[in-house]
Amino acid sequence: MLKQFMSEYNEAVMDTDRDRALLVVRDALDQGISPEEVVFEIVVPAIELTMTSISENQGVSLAQHFMAAQIASEVVDDMVPRFAKAPEIVGQIVIGTAQGDFHGLGKRIVAGCLKAMMVEVADLGLNVAPELFVDEAVARDAEVIAISAMMVHTARGENGCRRVRQILGERGLEERIKVAVGGAPFRFDPELFRTVGADAWAENGITAARVITDLIREVRR
Amino acid sequence: MMTGMERLVAAINGTPADRIPVFCNLLDQGAKELGLSLEEYYASGEHVAEAQLRMREKYGYDCLWSLFYVGKEAELLGCRKMIYAKDGPPNVGEMVIRNYDDIARLQIPDDIASHPAFAEELKCLRMLKEEGGGKYPICAYLTASMTLPAILMGIEKWLQLLMMGPADLRDELLAKCSDFFQKQVAAYRAAGADVLVYSNPFGSTDFIPRKFFNELSLPWMERDLGPGGTTGIVYYCGSARFNDVIEAVIDRLGIGVFYLSPMDDIVEGKRLVAGRGLTCGVINDIMLIDWTRDQVRAEVKRIIEAGKPGGKFLFGTLVMPFAIPEENIRTMLEAAYEFGRFDTK
Repeated sequence: MLKQFMSEYNEAVMDTDRDRALLVVRDALDQGISPEEVVFEIVVPAIELTMTSISENQGVSLAQHFMAAQIASEVVDDMVPRFAKAPEIVGQIVIGTAQGDFHGLGKRIVAGCLKAMMVEVADLGLNVAPELFVDEAVARDAEVIAISAMMVHTARGENGCRRVRQILGERGLEERIKVAVGGAPFRFDPELFRTVGADAWAENGITAARVITDLIREVRR
Repeated sequence: MMTGMERLVAAINGTPADRIPVFCNLLDQGAKELGLSLEEYYASGEHVAEAQLRMREKYGYDCLWSLFYVGKEAELLGCRKMIYAKDGPPNVGEMVIRNYDDIARLQIPDDIASHPAFAEELKCLRMLKEEGGGKYPICAYLTASMTLPAILMGIEKWLQLLMMGPADLRDELLAKCSDFFQKQVAAYRAAGADVLVYSNPFGSTDFIPRKFFNELSLPWMERDLGPGGTTGIVYYCGSARFNDVIEAVIDRLGIGVFYLSPMDDIVEGKRLVAGRGLTCGVINDIMLIDWTRDQVRAEVKRIIEAGKPGGKFLFGTLVMPFAIPEENIRTMLEAAYEFGRFDTK
């Protein structure tokens, strides 16, 4: 039965049909599926399936990424308060767009997916100063700083990831906090993440969730 | 020697030419050319025209641009704040649509040509026409109705409305954006623009699922282009791929120029266009920042070898990042002229 719900939910997400996806969740709960199972056996596998479809180049569009994250986020917000016990948090991250960058879609997709994976996300918003990224990461004991940049000059600029890396180095935080980047310039130049001093990059918001959880594991190891 | 306009016309018609046309989209570089900050530079249509003419002369490519920056359209629709950087294009600093109620309040100017926010572009177009008209195609950039809301309300809110919001509100906004497009394209044509780059990332299945493309993008593109027709219109989806919709675009819209994504397969693109139009092979210009001379030449050669056989092909760039060294711009162009030459024997 769980498998059937997972398949119906995933189909609705791929059809970008939010109402149908939420209906599948409601039906699942009515049939006795627990809120924990809804999140971990339906929503998270659907995100992972989307990741697989992307990696196999099956033509998943930006709108489908957006809807997968949006629906996941809504379902998780609704389910977590109903959990029998508070879920175990996988890790903490801070996320924002690089200084001078006002494009927030990517980070919203990342945050939605990470929430479903039980990663606590502090969204610092748009046009974030490098010092703020680091200060907030320290204050929240975050394992990862995620920086989104959609423009070449904000991706490569001296007040983006480069400066975050420099501050982490100056403050001796490089082992404790990892840096992930994403956005169009990184897709067009897959080596750019190294140039700007990031530890990892992701091609899109959905796969960013996997990249970031891998970095969290690396820090916690 | 042929002019840029003659090369473009020859490429469209598939008639003999000395080489393929080469379009190099230098925008922010104009400020560097005139020794101005980007904010000073974009404040004047005369600056933009002067720099466009100088850069074309200096590098020898085949087009002239009237585009200042993409956010200009938001200014025509009420945005009063742009945020300038020192090394990249300005950002829209104030969303014209902040909530759904603003959609009803959105006013489309009756006469774009007399709108104060269009005055500098008009000056620029007049100068370009005077100096380069007929010799070099003058390019204008227009955002499709499906994409314009992303500039007016931010892409997050637009996707939210598009995918989950009330359909009547979505359609009200799209109708206004389509009305704006129709007026804008008429204003550009009247002011002398020859090439009208119709920018629509939402016309790519990288952005929206095929079902949405068929049910929404295509009908709204038909509405955009209906009154003015497709003369001079270039299908362009930003950097998004669109090989898989070429057939539908030809069939339903009748567009005849395709400015591919650097990620599109050029051979496949040409096969799909099948002689019914001009295919433009586009270089991944972000890589031009760091590539060596040999890498630049190898990539230009690859693109041209893929697209040149059989003609009806143009070599082009996206919006060239400010950080590309001048030497690499020259290397790319010299390679394009060299590999793009037709054997006249």
